[in-house]
Amino acid sequence: MNRYETRIPFFLMWKYLLRGNKWTLFLIIFLMAIAFINLVFVASLFNGIIRGTEDQIINTYTGHFMITPKTGSDYIENVSTVIEKILTLPEVKGVAPEMQVSGSLEYNKIKGTWPILAIDPDKEKTVTNVSEKMISGEYLNEDDTDKIIIGRQISGGEGVENDAFSFKEAKVGEKVLLNLGQLEKEFTIKGIFYTKFINTDERAFITEKAWQALSPSDNKATAILVRLSEKDGQEAIEKIKALGIDENFITWEDASGLMQSVTGSFLSINFLLTLVGELIAAITIFIVIYIDITAKRKQIGILRAIGIKPYLIRVSYVIQISIYSVAGVLLGTALFFGILVPYFNHFPFSLPIGDARLIVNPADYIIRLETIILVAIGAGLIPAFMVTRMKILDAIWGRN
Amino acid sequence: MAGKTLIKVKNIFRTYKLGEIKVPALNDISLEINQGDFLIITGRNGSGKSTLLRQLALVDRPNSGEIYFEEKEVTKMHSNDRRNLRLTRLGYIFQEYALIAELSALENVMLPAMMLEPIKKCRPRAELLLKKMGLQNKMNNLPSQLSGGEQQKVAIARSLINDPEVLFADEPTANLDTFAAKDVLQIFKKLNQDEKHTIVMVTHEKEEEVFANRLIKLEDGKIV
Repeated sequence: MNRYETRIPFFLMWKYLLRGNKWTLFLIIFLMAIAFINLVFVASLFNGIIRGTEDQIINTYTGHFMITPKTGSDYIENVSTVIEKILTLPEVKGVAPEMQVSGSLEYNKIKGTWPILAIDPDKEKTVTNVSEKMISGEYLNEDDTDKIIIGRQISGGEGVENDAFSFKEAKVGEKVLLNLGQLEKEFTIKGIFYTKFINTDERAFITEKAWQALSPSDNKATAILVRLSEKDGQEAIEKIKALGIDENFITWEDASGLMQSVTGSFLSINFLLTLVGELIAAITIFIVIYIDITAKRKQIGILRAIGIKPYLIRVSYVIQISIYSVAGVLLGTALFFGILVPYFNHFPFSLPIGDARLIVNPADYIIRLETIILVAIGAGLIPAFMVTRMKILDAIWGRN
Repeated sequence: MAGKTLIKVKNIFRTYKLGEIKVPALNDISLEINQGDFLIITGRNGSGKSTLLRQLALVDRPNSGEIYFEEKEVTKMHSNDRRNLRLTRLGYIFQEYALIAELSALENVMLPAMMLEPIKKCRPRAELLLKKMGLQNKMNNLPSQLSGGEQQKVAIARSLINDPEVLFADEPTANLDTFAAKDVLQIFKKLNQDEKHTIVMVTHEKEEEVFANRLIKLEDGKIV
C-alpha cells in the first residue's frame, strides 16, 4: 500500500455520487430512510404506550406514590399531621388523602360495586388530573355533600365496551343510590369523567364532607397520594420515613401490577420486532446494493484490469454505502420528526390504557442508527467482495 | 533489428467452459515478443486471438503452459504481483473502450497514475497525452459526451499514462468508422516508431496488417 492509492476510494466514491444515476441514489437513500423509520417507529410506539401508561397511572390513579396503612391497621391516623409533615419536603408538589368507601351504587335498578373514594377535591387536584378530564358536568366542590362524579366505565354510553357492566348511559343530574349496607343515601351525578385509563374510569368520587356526614371518622384515610417534582420517588419515601411516618409506601410502579407485566411483554415484543426489522432491513439493503454493484460489475472488472487494487474498490463501495446510510438516517429522522411525530401527537393511537404517542428514547435511537449503518455496510460489503473476487473477464463480461 | 525478448510464451493451453461443454480456445501456443515489435495477431472470429492477447496482458491465466515477462514466469505469479505488472509495465486497450462512465476523459486517463504518484504530477502528463490524441478541448467531457473514436483515444491515453513497455490492443478499431480507425492506427504506428513502445494488437481487418512488423495468424487456437 502506498500513500497515493488511499485517495482512490474517495475519488471514485465522490465521482460516483456526483455523476451516478440520481434516481438510483435517491431510491437507495429513501430505502435506507424507510428501513430506519421502521426500526425507530416500532420502538417509539412501544415507548409511547409504556410512557403513556405510566403517566396515566401517575396522573389519574396513584400520584408518584401512595401511603397506605401500616400492616394490621385499616386507616392512616392523624392524616392532617402526616400531610403537614410530607409538605415540608421541597420535592413534594401535592398531597391528597383518600378514603375507600365500601358500598355499592344503584341507578335505574342497575346495581353494581365499583371503587368509591371520598376525597378533598382541592387537594386531589394537586395530585391527579381527574378534574381536567370531565366530559360532562363539573368536578366536585369541597362543600358538595350530595353530589357524586363517576367514571365513564360506570356511566356507560357510546364507546364503552359492549360487555362492560355499567349504568347504560347515566347522565349528569340523574340520581344514584349509594348503599352502605345499613345506610343508604341518594347522590346526584354532578359530572362524568373520562381519563382513558380504564382503572380510573371505573371509579366514583364523593367529597370528604359527604362521607363525614354518612360515617363520621376523625382525621383518617385509607390512602394518601403524593405527587413529586420528579418521577423517581424512592428518595422522597426515605425522607418521609425519616420524618417518623411508619406507614406502608406503594410507588406507582408497585401499583401498576398487571401493567408492569404488559410493559415487560411490550419490551419483549419490541426486541423481537426490532430483530425482525433489522433482518428485513439487512436483506432489502443487501438486494438493492447487490443489484447496484452487479450493474457496475463491468466497471469493477475494468478497474481491476487497469491495475486498481480490489480492496480499494471495496473501500470505495463501503464509503459510498456509509454515505447512503448516513443520508438515509438523516432523511428518516427528518421524516420521522417532521411528519410522523407531529401527526401522532395530533392523532394518537387510542388504547384502553390511554393515548399512545411516539416517544423516542435517545439511547434506542442511537442504537438503531448505528444498527442501520452497520447493517448497510455489511449488506454492501458482501456483494462488493463477491464482485471483486470474480475473475476479471467474468466481471467484465457479466458472467457468474 | 529485433530487440531483446520481452515476452516468451511456452506451450500454453486455454479452455473455456460453456455450460457442460469445454471449448478449447488456445492449443499449445508458443511465441516470443521482442522489444519494439508491432505484432498483429490475426485470425477468424473464434480463432483464439483475443484469448491469447488476454493471456499475454495478464488479464486471464492459461490452463497450462508458461508465460515469461522479462524472463520472469508470470502465469503462476500472485494476482497482486500480476496486477502490479498490469499497472506499471503493461497497457491494455479494450475493443469497447471500457472507460469509467462517471469519470471525465482526463480523470479516466489519470486514474491508473493516481495509484502511484500525486495528482499534481500525473495531471500534466494526462493532459499532455490527451493533447497528443487531439482531445485538448474535450478533457472534461464524460465518455457519454465523446464519439467512439474519441473514447478509444482516451482509452489509449489511459493505457499510456504509466509509460508501459508493452501496449495490448484488442480489436481497437472494431467499433470505429474508417476515418477514426485510421486515426487510431496512426497513433499506434507513432507510438511504436517514435516512442518505441512494443505493441501487440488483435485485428481481423486485412488492411491493418500493414502497420505491423510481425504478424501471426491463429486458426482453431493454433498459430499457423
